[in-house]
Amino acid sequence: MTDRLLIANRGEIAVRIARACRDLGISPVAVFSDADRASLHVRLSDHAIGIGPAPARESYLLPEKLIDAAKRTGARLVHPGFGFLAENAAFARAVRDAGLVWVGPDPESIDAMGSKTESRARMKAAGVPIVPGMTTPAKDPEEIAAFGREHGFPLLLKASAGGGGKGMRIVRAEEEVPAAFARARSEAVSFFADDAVYCELYVEKPRHVEVQVLGDRTGRVVSLGERECSLQRRHQKVLEECPSPAVSPELRARMEEAAVAAARSVDYVSAGTVEFLLASDGRFFFLEMNTRIQVEHPVTEMVYGVDLVAEMIRIALGGPISFDRRPEPRGHAVECRIYAEDPSNGFAPSPGTIHRLRWPLGPGIRVDSGVEEGDTIPLDYDPMVAKLVAFGSDRAEALRRMRRALRETRVDGIDTSIPFFLALLEDPDVLSGNVSTQFLEGWTYPGDPAPTDDAAELALVAAAVASARESLSVRGSSQPRPPSAWRTARPTFGHRE
Amino acid sequence: MKYRAKVTGPSGERSVEVEVQLDPTGVVVSLDGRPARWDIVSTPGGGFSVLRADGRQAEAVPHPAGNGTVRVRVGAERVTLELLDELTARAQAVAGKGAYRGSGDVKAAIPGRVLRILVNPGDTVLQGQPVVVLEAMKMENDVRSPRDGIIRSVEVAAGQAVGAGQVLLHLEPAG
Repeated sequence: MTDRLLIANRGEIAVRIARACRDLGISPVAVFSDADRASLHVRLSDHAIGIGPAPARESYLLPEKLIDAAKRTGARLVHPGFGFLAENAAFARAVRDAGLVWVGPDPESIDAMGSKTESRARMKAAGVPIVPGMTTPAKDPEEIAAFGREHGFPLLLKASAGGGGKGMRIVRAEEEVPAAFARARSEAVSFFADDAVYCELYVEKPRHVEVQVLGDRTGRVVSLGERECSLQRRHQKVLEECPSPAVSPELRARMEEAAVAAARSVDYVSAGTVEFLLASDGRFFFLEMNTRIQVEHPVTEMVYGVDLVAEMIRIALGGPISFDRRPEPRGHAVECRIYAEDPSNGFAPSPGTIHRLRWPLGPGIRVDSGVEEGDTIPLDYDPMVAKLVAFGSDRAEALRRMRRALRETRVDGIDTSIPFFLALLEDPDVLSGNVSTQFLEGWTYPGDPAPTDDAAELALVAAAVASARESLSVRGSSQPRPPSAWRTARPTFGHRE
Repeated sequence: MKYRAKVTGPSGERSVEVEVQLDPTGVVVSLDGRPARWDIVSTPGGGFSVLRADGRQAEAVPHPAGNGTVRVRVGAERVTLELLDELTARAQAVAGKGAYRGSGDVKAAIPGRVLRILVNPGDTVLQGQPVVVLEAMKMENDVRSPRDGIIRSVEVAAGQAVGAGQVLLHLEPAG
């Protein structure tokens, strides 16, 4: 019998996994909440099981319903995607205890990397660089100064009992240490009634660079280059690329070596990502490991020519990584995460029905999406509409194609972050790759550009003709007509009557 | 059909008189009394391929947004304009803008769940002041007061799901 795989997810990633299943001759099984009965991931599957009301905690987050759906449909494998239960070791164990195949790392690996303190200790033991910091409070300023001489400045002074940024001070040079130490101590006393203070290296304007790894049951772990994910808004990545414009071949080799060591230290099997902070001087430090497939995995797939989701499924079935020699990277790929939000209105969410949808096509373009024309973006879940990915022989070509793809895309009925990306891809620092994780904190969307006179005239003529046709057809017809947008106007995102 | 429109281009806002004549042979649009023939064909999803006599083309999708405001996507650009048919434009000119300010209700512009109500009946609020926090798409969104006023009543409770356009609060104009 054809193998069946239950996709314990929804939206774009569920569609992505269903595609990998088809490529492998496996039959995809969907689950859906009440809000997703006819969503694209359901329409593309051979079996589908309803698992409850729209709120995720009553459907997509309930292990027993997911396992029950697998049993009812005879699915042998379970792929969690990302988000929801993807990094939930208890769910991985429950899947295995039910006699099913978990498409992901062992629960022990998920647990080991899930704890900040445990993963840090393990990384230290495995020789993976972590941000240098004192493990006990400093007795006097001299101890701080000595730490600075050893690891370099600036340092971040922190209250041992602290949190939430209170009692933290940045020290830029050795001569600032005595005064800063005294201040940090007295702040620690007044905020936390505890004068213990320690310090760690302060990584200024770091980049977020992460390495893709893949491990199989033979004990082999390979790395597939890095992704640059420094452009983040509200701690959410918005634009990712592969390779990073800041990583030289020599640095890449060292980061990949560290990532493989990190994965080996937890006997990692399946696809995973080791995230690093990259300092401007080329030093890098372990941040965390994501024990799942990642949103931005397509840029790696484009550059390395590997299907990471298919590899995960093969490995889960006991097979080895499909290639003996690691593929060489080729070209450059960029991804923009398109959200249902209005950048000209403070990025307010814009749920609703997509009346008209045109995805970009043509050389070097890939679109991973969970919606089609006529579909509704529900307000119950993540507002990502699609991931647009552009590939080029080099970074400049990839960026040119991305701009073309963004301009070609038409999403009518909801607002999207496309205008934000079009503006972002005009910024000289973005174009030259000169960014850090703080870049978007200091960058504001300049607002929709003023239309050209031509565009304003064409818009005016279209609006007037649409309105005139509407009034003509209302007068000229006695038939009942479906409600028209010209009479039941969609409210703008404002709060006026 | 005759319209009065306001559009904002690179040179600022300008008013335009528009007349549209539809006949079986096509469309004649007069802008400020200068007529020209346009080739306008419907495209899927309520849009138009708009072709000017000089060959300039764009796909334009107009969305009426209420109160005569129309948002039009032209290619990758977004244009917001005001389009009022002649009667409405005249009525508005006579009544003054105030007549079109509507009632004092504060409504939910998007569907969501009420997280917090930040005001009580009798409170004085200023235009732009957050009055309710709605959760939609995993994010918290402030609903702001559309104008200065006094809260007359609160129509929803924390935790309640609300639809787009649902009245959240009644607001009395101040003074």
